[in-house]
Amino acid sequence: MTPQLGGVPGFRDLLPEEAEVLRAAQESLLEEMRRWGYRHVITPMVESIDVLELGLNADQRRRLFKFIDARGEVVALVGERTIPVARLVAGKLRSAALPLRLCYAGAVLSADEGRFHQRRETYQVGAELVGASGAAADAEVIALAARCLEAAGLRRYQVDVGHAEFFQGIMDAVRLPAVVKAGVRSALAARDFVALEELLERTPLRSAEHELLLRFPALRGGSEILAAAGGLVRNRRSEKALSELARVQELLVAHGLGGVVGLDLGAIRDFDYYTGIIFEGYGPDLGRPVAQGGRYDRLLSRFGRPAPATGFATLRLFGMRAVVDTEARRDRDARTWWRAVGAENLIQCRGASKVAWTARGGRTRTLPPEQVAARLAGAHV
Amino acid sequence: MRVSIALPTGALLPGALKLLSRAGVMRLSAAELGRRLLVERSGVRVILVRPADVPAYVDYGAADLGIGGKDVLWESNGAHYELVDLHFGPCRLVLAVPEESEIGGPETWPPLLRVATKLPRTTASWFEARGQAVEVVLLHGSVELAPQVGLVDGIVDLTATGRTLRENKLRVAATLGSSTARLIGNQASLKTRTDAVQALVGRLRDGANDAG
Repeated sequence: MTPQLGGVPGFRDLLPEEAEVLRAAQESLLEEMRRWGYRHVITPMVESIDVLELGLNADQRRRLFKFIDARGEVVALVGERTIPVARLVAGKLRSAALPLRLCYAGAVLSADEGRFHQRRETYQVGAELVGASGAAADAEVIALAARCLEAAGLRRYQVDVGHAEFFQGIMDAVRLPAVVKAGVRSALAARDFVALEELLERTPLRSAEHELLLRFPALRGGSEILAAAGGLVRNRRSEKALSELARVQELLVAHGLGGVVGLDLGAIRDFDYYTGIIFEGYGPDLGRPVAQGGRYDRLLSRFGRPAPATGFATLRLFGMRAVVDTEARRDRDARTWWRAVGAENLIQCRGASKVAWTARGGRTRTLPPEQVAARLAGAHV
Repeated sequence: MRVSIALPTGALLPGALKLLSRAGVMRLSAAELGRRLLVERSGVRVILVRPADVPAYVDYGAADLGIGGKDVLWESNGAHYELVDLHFGPCRLVLAVPEESEIGGPETWPPLLRVATKLPRTTASWFEARGQAVEVVLLHGSVELAPQVGLVDGIVDLTATGRTLRENKLRVAATLGSSTARLIGNQASLKTRTDAVQALVGRLRDGANDAG
């Protein structure tokens, strides 16, 4: 029998070019984190299942690569690296003074999805700030995540900030039978808004909180959305979440990130351990988030060292690189194009889709390149 | 800003095109779309893909939105947002057995039930949730034939009118779920281009409600 030269389905070799891309991405992200005072730690690929279970829900546990080591203990390959860092902080770093700023880079594995050769091994670079509560710490980690996306080369990106407690407060306040509440949670976890609507339509009660739940996917925008939501919620938990969001947003504006930060009250996250501010980074032309993180104040206590904590991981390092390359190519193409047009008309490239055009003696207009090309062609005929 | 939407070939296509027209998005004939596969007009790009491929196009962000049957979504288990029930294309997913079979309600199921289906994931998880051991035989077409030649005890398949089942001397033993066309959306599109995408979602929602 010929050996399986392509490796196990879902896993792949990185050839020199790809390996260099990955290493460069990891190094530039770790370097940015180091500049912010985050120290690099390396935790093992393998963790005891007892440790990982402290932070994962049933579905995520099912997706772990599990096996039994020689001592008969069930161990697993890590599916994310926040839990190992929490174990480290509560274990070997037990006597280290808080706050601790740590970062990591490494592979994470999933036993799922390998059937059709989807990737089961991906690479993450992340940072954790343990032992700091409050808006300043939340804003620090979000700002670091944003600067990391820049360090990875993304020039256009956005960061959506939400709050895990906003939804929990609504679920407390809304008067629904327990079974319906469970249905609402699982519909939201599955991002199934049709099921959500059906569930809520069948309940006779109507309140502002109902309306909020129904509008969940569309609850995003600028600071105006906080006022709008504030007018609809009538519970302390959600109100507190809104005021924390407002504070974090102010700080992010002070970090110089006002232009890229949006607020998303309908944020839904797969990890149960989030307890406060949560956020996601998106790049252009990427169908999925490139960074994910948030506050998880209760995870460390499960390891016996109660401490507030927040952190994030950057995902899809190759996807980001592809965007960077595409944009660079578009820019290069655009520049080449306007150089070819000649000096009679003053043309200035403003990104790939916009060109400022000043015809001789005329006023300057900003147009898409094709239109400028058409007008020039017309002018010369 | 351009918004793209993936439409499925087959039974749901006429309903989907009617909806686009009623919502004032685009008037497009099945023949034209079928010929060109990709049509772009006034900021909306429509692409035509196989029904089972709609979730893939949306999950990976190649289309911002997609229209697909709930049955396809059961099977895909993807990362999209399911946004609107469009109400058209209703059908049921049923367990059908030969008319003379003794299989009926759950109490009559054998210890190991053998079923043929085109929807293996949905079938397996539905029986699993009810504690029924099931052997799923994945077929790609003419599923109705399988019980008649003794391949399986029954089939799990979609039915709108029940006619195909009757013609093949099959009767419904259980209903696994009911399906209609759904509007799904890519997670990142909804977040990064909220206004443009939500505007189109709103028009399609209104269009679907007008009809219903």
